[in-house]
Amino acid sequence: MTFKHLFSPLKIGKVEVRNRISFQPHLTNFAVDCLPTERHMHYWGERARGGVGLIITEEMSVHPTDRAYEKLVEVFHPEVIPHFRRIADRVHEFEARIFAQLNHNGQQCDGTISRLPVWAPSPVPDVLFRETPKEMEPEDIEEVARYFGRCAVHVREGGFDGVELQFGHSSLARQFLSPLTNFRTDEFGGSLENRMRAPLMFIEAVRRAVGDDYTVGIRLCADEMIPGGLDLAQVQEIARRFEATGLIDFMDLSIATFYNLYLVEGSMHTPLGYTVPLAAGIRESVKLPVFCTGRINDPVMAEKVLAAGQADMIGMCRALICDPFLPKKAEEGRMEEIRYCVADNQGCIGRMGVNKLLGCIQNPAVGLEARWGEGSLRPAAVKKRVMVVGGGPAGMWAAKMAALRGHRVDLYERGDELGGQVLIAMKGAGRDEFGVIARNEKAQLDRLGVTVHLGVEVTEAMVLEQAPDAVIVATGSVPKAHPVAGADGPAVFNVWQVLEGEAEVGQSVCLIDYDGHHRATSTAEHLADRGVEVHIITSSLFVGAELGPLQDLYLTRQRLLQKGVTFTPDIAVMEVTGEAGDKRVKGFNVYSNEWGEWGPYDSLVLAMGQEVDDRLYKALKGKVKELHRIGDCVAPRKVDMAIWEGHKVGREI
Amino acid sequence: MTANGLSVVVLLREVLDPRPPVRLAGGGVMVREPGPRRLVNPADLEALEEAMLLAEGRGARVTAVAVGPGRRLEDGLRLALAMGAHRAVRVDGPGLWEGDAVARARVLARVVEILSPSLVLAGARLLDRGDDPAPALAAAGLGLPCCTPVVSARVGDGEATATRKADRGARDVVALPLPCVLLMEGGAREPRYPDLDAVLAALGAPVETWGLPELGLPERAVGEHAALLRPERLVHPRPDPTPVPTPDPDAPAFERIRTLLSGGIRARAGRVHEGSAGEVVEGLLRILEEEGLLQGAAP
Repeated sequence: MTFKHLFSPLKIGKVEVRNRISFQPHLTNFAVDCLPTERHMHYWGERARGGVGLIITEEMSVHPTDRAYEKLVEVFHPEVIPHFRRIADRVHEFEARIFAQLNHNGQQCDGTISRLPVWAPSPVPDVLFRETPKEMEPEDIEEVARYFGRCAVHVREGGFDGVELQFGHSSLARQFLSPLTNFRTDEFGGSLENRMRAPLMFIEAVRRAVGDDYTVGIRLCADEMIPGGLDLAQVQEIARRFEATGLIDFMDLSIATFYNLYLVEGSMHTPLGYTVPLAAGIRESVKLPVFCTGRINDPVMAEKVLAAGQADMIGMCRALICDPFLPKKAEEGRMEEIRYCVADNQGCIGRMGVNKLLGCIQNPAVGLEARWGEGSLRPAAVKKRVMVVGGGPAGMWAAKMAALRGHRVDLYERGDELGGQVLIAMKGAGRDEFGVIARNEKAQLDRLGVTVHLGVEVTEAMVLEQAPDAVIVATGSVPKAHPVAGADGPAVFNVWQVLEGEAEVGQSVCLIDYDGHHRATSTAEHLADRGVEVHIITSSLFVGAELGPLQDLYLTRQRLLQKGVTFTPDIAVMEVTGEAGDKRVKGFNVYSNEWGEWGPYDSLVLAMGQEVDDRLYKALKGKVKELHRIGDCVAPRKVDMAIWEGHKVGREI
Repeated sequence: MTANGLSVVVLLREVLDPRPPVRLAGGGVMVREPGPRRLVNPADLEALEEAMLLAEGRGARVTAVAVGPGRRLEDGLRLALAMGAHRAVRVDGPGLWEGDAVARARVLARVVEILSPSLVLAGARLLDRGDDPAPALAAAGLGLPCCTPVVSARVGDGEATATRKADRGARDVVALPLPCVLLMEGGAREPRYPDLDAVLAALGAPVETWGLPELGLPERAVGEHAALLRPERLVHPRPDPTPVPTPDPDAPAFERIRTLLSGGIRARAGRVHEGSAGEVVEGLLRILEEEGLLQGAAP
C-alpha cells in the first residue's frame, strides 16, 4: 500500500507541512504552575520524531478567567516564551511543524480554581460545570480579544509555526456563535452577524498581532448535536463567512458540546471515522484546508478519506498517543509494526477528566518519553534465558521487552491462543476491537523471534527442570469462586462463563454488577442481544458507574435501555438462593437499609470481582534464581496495569 | 457545389476520454502522452449527423474538417466518410493546433474562407474541456452569424432557422442568413452507426491533407506565435468530495447522532432458530438457500 495522499505535503497559510497527519489538540495534564514542561517537550518531540507532519498543542488559556482545570497552560504570561522555544526547537529538529491552540473556555470553566467569576455571553451555566457565569460586558469581550492578540504574539515569539483558535466544542467563541448559549440582545447576540461579532474580534485581534505572514486557523464545532444548537447547515454558513474575511488559513473541526461529550471522544462503540460526513460537509462549503478528526486510527482509512476528497488533513490523537511512530511506519510500509489504538479510553480520556497525567493502556511510555521514549532501550548486560508464564497482555509485553533487549525468551500459554483475558473481554457486546490489543503484540512477538508454547500448562517441576535464568509469572486472575453466599448453588454463572458461551442461562437473568465497568454491562448487552431478559442489580447509584470518565456511559445506558435491560441500583447483595428457573437475590438498600428479595430468574450472572491465580508463583518462590510476578496474578486490575508491569519487568530484567 | 448550392462544413475535434484519469508530464505543463484515450468529440459527431440529415433532405454536400497533429485524426475523418460525408479534409502543420482559442480561430476562419460553405456545424461543447470559443471566434472574424447551443435547425433558401436553448428550459427560435455557423447542443441527435460496407469503403477513400501552404498562412500567424495566452502550469484540482450522507440538519439532534453513530448503516438483526438439532439444521439450510449460498451444492 502506498499512501499517495497521506504523505503529500500541504501548504497551510505560510507553512508547508510534510504530510497530512496532524497530532490534534488534547489535554495532557502535563503543565506545572500553568507553564509548559519538559514532559510536554519530550511528549511532542517523540511524535515529531515519529513522523507526524503537524502538531497542534493542547488548549492554552488566554485569560485569567479561563481555568477549566488545574493543569492548564496560561499563555498570557510572557514566561511561557522560553518554554515554547525549547518545545519548538525540539519539534523542528524532526522536521515537524507545531501550532499552539489558544482558547477561552467561557462558561465551560471552573471559577473555583481561578477564584474569579466565569465569563460567558449569557448567564447560563454549562451542563458539566453548572456554574452560573457573569454575562460579559462589551469591555470584557474587548479585553478577551486583546488577550487573544497578546497570547498569539507569545506563541510567535516562542518560535511556533502557527496558532489555532479554539472555536469548537469547548470555547467562549462557540458559546457566542450558538443560540444554545447566546441570549444577548445587544450587538453580540441575535442575528448570525451579531453572534459572529465577538469571534471575529478574536480573529482580527490575533491577525493584527501576528501580521499577515503567519499561519492562523480556527477549530469550529461542525454540529453541536443538541436541540436548539448549531447544526451542519448553520456551521457551513459560519465557515463561509469566516473564510470570506480572508484572515484565516485553515479550518480544523470538532463536534458536539459538553452535553454530549461522548461524541467528542468517541469510544470503541462509535464507528471509525464517525465525523467524516461532517468534515465532508464543511469542505463542500469552503476552500480552506479542512481537518477531520475522530477515530481515524489507521493510515489506510486516512488515505481513503483524503483520496475521497472528504478532508485535506487527518487529525489523529489517540492513534499517535498509542503509537507515536505510526506515520513513519506507514510511510516505510511497516504496517504490521503499527500499534493500533482501540479507543478503549481508559488510559487517556479516562484519566484526563479526573486530573491524572495522560496515559495509554497500550503505551506505558506516554508522558515518560524522556525515560522510556524511542532509543531508550539498552541491550541487557547479561543475556538470560527467560521463561514467561502466561500469554496475557502482561506476559506478552514482558516477553516482547525482554526479547528486544537480547534475552532468549520462551513464552508459555496454557490456552491455544495468546491474549489472556483480552480474548474473553473482546466477546462482550461491541468490545471486539479490544482484541486488537492482543493482535498488536502477537505481531511483535513473531517478529522478535520469541518462542511461544501454546497449550502448555507450566508446572513447578517443569520450571525446575528447565532451570531458566529468570521466571516471570503472569498467570492472571479468575472470577471469584465464592463472592456471595449461595454462589456455589445451581444456575449461578460468572461473566466469563457467559461470554465464553459455557452458560445455559435460560430466558431471564439477573446480573449482579459490583464491577461498574464493561465487564458487567457488555455481558448484559451480550445476553440481551441473544433475546435474554436481563435485570441488573448494582450497589452503585447507577449501572456502569466506572464508564462515565471513559465517555462510554451515555451510549451504554442508551443501548441497555433500547435492549430492554432493567436496573435496580443501591442494593448490597447478601445472598442468592433457589433452584435453576427459580433463582432469587436477597439484599438490602445501602441507603435506607431496607431488605428486599428479587426474583424469580432462570439464572444469575455474577460480575463480582476477580481473584489472583498465584499458585505457580507461590510454588516457585525461593526455588528459582530470579522470580518476578506481574499483572493480575499480583492483584486483579485492568489491562493498563498488566501492560505497565509487563513493560517494566521486561525493561529491568 | 450541388445543384441547389447548399454545402455544409462539419468541424470534428478530438477530446480526451474523460473516464480514465489524466496524468501530467513535463513538470506539470502538459498532459502525458500516450496513455489517455482520445475520441472524436461526441457533440461534433451529432453535428455531423445533423449535416447528414440535411444532405439527405436537401441534397447538401458535406465536408468533414479536422485540424490537428499526426495521422490519428484520420480515423475520425474516415468515420465521417463512413457516415456519409462527401469530402474529408485534415488540416495539419507544425504547431498549428497549439496556442489559444484566438490562434485556432484564425486557422478555422481560413478553412471556412477557402471552402466557403453555406453552413458550418460543430458541437457546442467539448466533452473534456467544455467550452471551445474557437468556432464562435472564427465566425466573428469572418462576420458570419453564429448561434449556440442549437437543439435543432432547418435550412431554407438563403436562411436557416435554429432552435436554441434559452433560460429555464425555454426555447428560442432564431433566423440566420446563410452562410452561418451553428453550434449544436449535445444529446439532440444520435449519430448513425455506419454499416460495414461503408466502413470498408471509407478505409480506401482519400483524406485530403492541407498544410500552411494550402491555407496560405505564414507560420507566424498560427499556433503559439499567434496566441495571446501562454500556458503556465497544469495542476490537479482539489478533488471533489465523494458524497457521503451528511446528517440532515433539519432532523432532530438525536436522529443526527444516530446517523453518525450507525455510519449510515443499520445493523442487520440476527435471527435465532430454536428447536431440535434436525430442525435447526433444516432452518440453517433454508437460510443458506435463500441467501443463494447453496448454489451447485448436492441436494
